[in-house]
Order: sequence, then structure tokens, then C-alpha cells
Amino acid sequence: MSQALYRKWRPQTWDAVVGQQHVVQTLHNALAADRIAHAYLFAGPRGTGKTTTARLLAKAVNCLNADLSARPCGECEHCQAVEQGRFLDLIEIDAASNTSVEDVRDLRDKINFLPNQGKYKVYIVDEVHMLSTAAFNALLKTLEEPPTHAIFVLATTEAHRIPATVLSRCQRHEFRRIPVVEIIQHLEQVAQSESIQVEAEALALIARQSTGAMRDAISLLDQLASTGQTITLAWVQEALGTAASQAVLTLVDALIEKDPACLLDTVHTALDSGSDPRQFARQIVDYLRDLLIMRTGSPAQIETTPEARLQMERHAQAFTPAEIMRLIRLFNTAAVEGRSAWQPALPLEMACIEALELPEAPAAPRVSSQPVQPAPAQPPVAPVQAETVSRAPAPPPTSAEVSEEDVQSTRNLAGMWDKVLGLVRQQDPKTYGLMNSCKSRFMRRDQVLLGFASDIVKAKMEKPENFELAQNALSQILERPVTIRCYVDTHKRSAIPDGVDNDGMVAAALRELGGELVDIN
Amino acid sequence: MLKPELCAKIALMTWKVLGHEWAVDLLRSHIAQQKLHHAYLLSGPDGVGRRTLALRLAQAINCAQPPEPGTPCLTCRVCRQIEAMQQADLLVVQAGSKGGVLKVDQVRELQRSLALHPYESAYKVALLLRFEEAHVSAMNALLKMLEEPPARAILLLTADSRESLLPTVVSRCETLRLHPLPIEKLAAGLRAELGVEEQQARLLAHLSGGRPGLALRLSRDPELMKKRVAGLDELKRLLGCGLVERFQFAERTAKDSKDKEKFRDLLEVWLSFWRDVTLRAAGTQAPIANLDWQAPIDQAASALGLARAREMTQLIERSAGLLERNVNPRLIAETLMLDLPYISLELVPA
Repeated sequence: MSQALYRKWRPQTWDAVVGQQHVVQTLHNALAADRIAHAYLFAGPRGTGKTTTARLLAKAVNCLNADLSARPCGECEHCQAVEQGRFLDLIEIDAASNTSVEDVRDLRDKINFLPNQGKYKVYIVDEVHMLSTAAFNALLKTLEEPPTHAIFVLATTEAHRIPATVLSRCQRHEFRRIPVVEIIQHLEQVAQSESIQVEAEALALIARQSTGAMRDAISLLDQLASTGQTITLAWVQEALGTAASQAVLTLVDALIEKDPACLLDTVHTALDSGSDPRQFARQIVDYLRDLLIMRTGSPAQIETTPEARLQMERHAQAFTPAEIMRLIRLFNTAAVEGRSAWQPALPLEMACIEALELPEAPAAPRVSSQPVQPAPAQPPVAPVQAETVSRAPAPPPTSAEVSEEDVQSTRNLAGMWDKVLGLVRQQDPKTYGLMNSCKSRFMRRDQVLLGFASDIVKAKMEKPENFELAQNALSQILERPVTIRCYVDTHKRSAIPDGVDNDGMVAAALRELGGELVDIN
Repeated sequence: MLKPELCAKIALMTWKVLGHEWAVDLLRSHIAQQKLHHAYLLSGPDGVGRRTLALRLAQAINCAQPPEPGTPCLTCRVCRQIEAMQQADLLVVQAGSKGGVLKVDQVRELQRSLALHPYESAYKVALLLRFEEAHVSAMNALLKMLEEPPARAILLLTADSRESLLPTVVSRCETLRLHPLPIEKLAAGLRAELGVEEQQARLLAHLSGGRPGLALRLSRDPELMKKRVAGLDELKRLLGCGLVERFQFAERTAKDSKDKEKFRDLLEVWLSFWRDVTLRAAGTQAPIANLDWQAPIDQAASALGLARAREMTQLIERSAGLLERNVNPRLIAETLMLDLPYISLELVPA
């Protein structure tokens, strides 16, 4: 078994540490001035060099070289021993496996013994955030005033989980993500020494993908190099599951064209060729983010070729910033969605389809997946509310097409109906009586349809004096000229009028539970 | 570099794995060139073949008489023991049950055993299955071991995706991302390997979405297929009938799904149905899962339209999520029943 490259290339001198100048310089100066603190906390993201620096520090304080600033020399007996992992006074503790207060008490008992070989006993407590609260507290006294021969180095990726009492006793060093450029440089160096053939673009992708973690970058390089052939960009993409950037562009085109078939086809082609659904979603978000940046007027921030920029500008102009934000939110959800083990592509597919729906759609009331709106104090028989607006209106009482507008004005009419009745009543109580017996009312553009229970009532209503009076009153209240048409409402009382969702609660109450539609308001 | 078809053939011949030729190729070359890493993470959806590949790797590493380096014989005692996950140097660690939790004590126990010298083989192989189910402290406990294990130890992790593990775990492993095979390829493989009939093979490939492990499970267990058809029949019936019957169904479901298992399976079948409806409504070429139900699916797609189909899919998904989070099953079933559209599917499945 060969050693993984990231272990083989663990820096053994201060100079070899990449991208953590601020930490290395401080420690180096402290060593040179012989002002070593007794407790350090190294915090930072994975793969940025915490354990490495901790070991370097252990090596340096025990180095036998006469020149303080040249430590660690890497040649003396102690340095050699540390490098080979057999130095007795370097005690590396895996805090994630030894979390309990017993483990800390054990450490406290042993720390008082003098070092075996070197000048200092160095305790490296890795993954220290996993210690239990009791363990942390048990450590406090020792951490504050350890024996003169002891140095603590605590290393963690999650500094926020360390109690403040521990933080204040340590010298804290923050490790930063390593910049892409430095990762590339280092990878080039590794590739050269290991005689790995690799394309420059492939290296750049590896470096970008590793998000500032050197270990990720080197182990990816290691993985790709294992076949012994030249590493190409296409190969890296395949290993990472990143889709070709062309797929993202096609997908955005399909979004603009509002073509669901093309959209899903693009997704499936990309997935079939081996990209990862989440990875793909993330790429889409990245691209949309670039569009947003471009749309909000800082195109200079985007690094890309002139041709790609033209394409991006075209895409950016096709959306409003609000739309882009909505899309980003949708695809971001797909990228982080954890569920759906059954069909990994599902969140992405759903995001695609949802993206095509009108932006108003999410604002419209959902069917009845939410609890029913609290019904006002009304007889329980009639919990009828026209609030649930349908997107697929029920068949109208007449054969006319029902538009969204009609549904709206029908609801309007329902709200005004009392006023209309009031107005008619002032003028003629008989007409009022007739209108009051009207069973159903609908608006069709400028026509008001009034449904009556029988021919007799309808005929009475159609008498000119009643008819005109009603028409005038309606026009006055609705503030626009309308005509009246009367018809006999042969529908069963439980028929579902428009403005009520066919699948909603009201429809269910009518159809299944024998409810009656008393009034729509 | 060999031609892909030839690679496929070799992979099948030597490792007996359906698909994933590139991964087999890579691992084989690692063993052959003595460049084996100390930790591998095999990620991919359930049933894609992660465990099979991991076991093959363990066999290839420890086989007593390999025909050539990097190829297990699959017939010697060690190979057979590993296949049964009962070899002395194979340490299997997994959550007690599917959906359970892998505990930190299990990892600590593993650390102790890994520190020992291998009993009879070249390497001690630790197999950590479904590592996404590991408790966060268990993952943390593995970190040090994962970075620098003892000399003769190799750790193989399987997980559903890289994202469900701690980034610190992922960055210490060599990751192989297994993805589902193209449907046609899986169907061909099933025909050739298992002697499944043409039509059945296609159906299995579609149902499993290109995941060989799942397809094998389905073909071996006729009970699963029966359950699926029953679930679809139930859905078809419910779509056509009124609320009274729907509520009776909800009551029944809640009663006999005390362990949630049954209801979850049902929701999974329904989810596949609604996803198919969505795909058909969108008019895409993407393969649908329930190939034998194409006619009713098309009918539902044209009756509901894309937006409504999408909504239903998400609704079922959300219901499954709620079930997972211990919401009252009956409540879930009833709400779902209220939300099911009313359509009668007249067409019968093929």
C-alpha cells in the first residue's frame, strides 16, 4: 500500500506550509524569540494545515538545532523521530474518540511526568470540539497552568463549539481557506515531483473544486493520477460529477423558452452522462448567480471569455432580477435537499418544473394542503368561502367559457349583492322579493346571469319594470353598464359553482358530505 | 486504455459487477500497481451497487489465490467468506437497522479491532455501510483513524452522497461516485446475467431507475413487485372514488401501518407514479419508472397538466418526509386523501 499523497506531502518545514503565512510567521517568530505559549488553539476549515502546523510546532520546540530560528532542522534525532511518528513526547490525542471526562483526568494524571526525550511534552488534541462539556471543564485548570514542560495544541474545525473559558486560555490562530492560485501552484509542484501529467485546466478545476482545502485537492489529484495517464479536464469533470457547462446553458435556454420537455431532457442527458444531480443544481445556481451579478450592474466581477459573456448578457436580459432570485432560491433548495433516496434526480426535476410556473403561482392560495381558513361564525352547514380560487374552474352553468376575470367579478358581485338588494328595496319591495329569491348569480363580462328556481319566478323577473329596475341598480352599484339575463337554475343545489375549486374543501363538502351552498360571499 | 466495451466485459468477467466499469478499472489498477489507498468512499443512491463493489474490492485485496493481481477468484474460501460478510479480517460496521443510527461505540470498537494485526489475510478491511446514518459523534470519532490508519488496514465507506457526511470525513477518503446505469444497459445486463426475459428486464431496469442492486432485489422478490402493483391499483381506485371511501382507506392505512414501514413503501410507489405523470405531462423523453402502467399514466398526465402533477409529486414527497418525522400517519393519510384529484383512469395497465 502506498501512502496517500496528502500524507506523503504533509509539510515538514515552515516554508512548506501553504497559504497560512500569518500563522506560520507568528509561530516562527515566537520560536526564534523563545517565547512559546503553553496553549494554542488552531481553528479553521478542513485541509488547511492545522494538524500539520501542530506537528511542526512540536518538532520545532524539541529540535536540537542550536539556532533557534532554524528550528525545526529536520535532521536532528528528535526531528527524525517526530517525522517517523515515534517521538515519545509528542502525544496526539483524538478527542473525538476520547471525549469523556475520564480521558481528560487520565491526561491530567500523566502530564506531570517529565518528558522522556525532548524538552517539552506536546499534547496535540485534535478534533477538540468533540470533548464533552465536563471534559472541557476538567481540562480548564491544567490548560491554564500546565507544568512548564507541557504545551497544548488544540485543533478543531468548529471553534464555535469550544467553551469561552477554554478559548480565553489559549493563543488562538485562525487558519484560512487557501486561495485557488496557491493551491494550483502547490499541485503543480506535487505533480512535477510525482511525475504526474496533468492539464493546466484540469488543475484549475481541481483547485476550484476543493474550496480552499489542500487535502481535498491533493487527494483528488492522487485519485486521478492513479491510472498513470495524463489527467484531462474531461476526466476531472467525470470524476467530480460536474456537468459540462454547456448543459447549464442549454437548461437556461429552455427556462427562457419555457419548454418543460427540453428542460427535463437536458437534466436527464446531463445525469446520464454521469453528473451528480446536486452538483448540477449547484452549477446552475452558480451560473444564475453570475447572471444576477451581471443584471445588477457589476459585470466586471465575472471572469469569463468574451463569447461566453455575450451569451450571459443575452440570458441576463431575459430575466428580471426578481425572477433570477426566485430561480436561484428554487435550484438552491434542490441542491441542499437531503431527502428522496428513492430518486436522486427528483428535487432537481421538481425545481425545473416549478421554475417554469408563473411567479404568481406560489403566491396564489394553495389547494387545500393547508388547513382551512378559520370559518367565521356561520351555521356549520355552510362553511362556504369563495377564497379558494380555482386554477381549473368548474364547468359553468352556461356553456360560455369562463375566464379568470369572470370568476373575479363574480366574487365581486357576491360582495356587492347586499348593496344591490338594498338599493332595489328602497325603490320597489316586490322586485326586491324577486331578486332575493334568486338562487345563483354569475358575471360574464358585462352580463349578469341570475338563476331562478322555476320558470314562474324567472318570467316575473323578466317583466320590463322589474328587469329595468334590477339592471339599473346593478349598473349603479357595479359602476359600469351591465345587462341581465335570467335563466332557470336546473342544477342541483350541490352543483359546484365557479369560483370554487373542484378539488377543494368546499367541493368536497358539497359532493361528499351533502352540504348545501347557501351563499357565496 | 482499453475500449469501453472491452472494459465492460472484463469488469463483468473478473469482478462480477454490473456496470461501474471505470470504478472497477480504477480499483483494479490500484491493487495491481500496489497503490492502494487507505480509505475509499463509495457514494451513490441506494441499490446502485456500492456494497457489492466494496465487497469485491475486499475480495480482490485479500483473495488467497488471485488469478491475476487485482482480480478476485471468487471461489476460494476467503472470497466466499467475504461474500457472506463473515471473514475474520473483514469488519462490518453499520447501523442496527436501515434508518437506524450507527453509534459512536461501534466506531470505537472498530478502532480497537483495526489496531490488531490481520488474522489471516494481507489487510484488515473495515466496511462501514450506510455511513450517512452514523451519528455525528461517530463520524468525528472516525476522523483520526480515517486519516492515518494502521499500516495494514483499509477502510471502505459507503454513503448515499458526499454531502450527507461531514466534509472532514469526505476529504480524507478517495471518493468513487457511483451513478445509475443507463436503462438500456442495465436491461441488457439483466438479460445476459440473470436470463431474465426481454420485457421483464426492461421493466426491472425502468423500475429501478438504472440501479442494478434494486433491480436484482425486485427480480428476486416477487412479493415486492406484487406490493407495487397493489399500491398502484389502490391509487387508481382512490382517484376514482369519493371521500367516504378515501377516508376509509386512510383509517385502514393508519391502522395496519403501526410500524410505518408499509405506509412508507406505499408512498414510495405513489411517488414513482406521480413522478411518471409529471414527466409525461412535461413531454420529456426521460424514462418513466412504471413502464407497465404507461397508459393510465398518460391519461392522468393529460387530465391534470404539468403544474398539478408537479404539485402532487411534491405533496407525496412531503408526506413521506412528514412520516419520517413521526407525524401521525392517519393525519398524513387523510390530508393526502383530501388533496388527491378526482379522475377516473379507465385505461388498464399493460
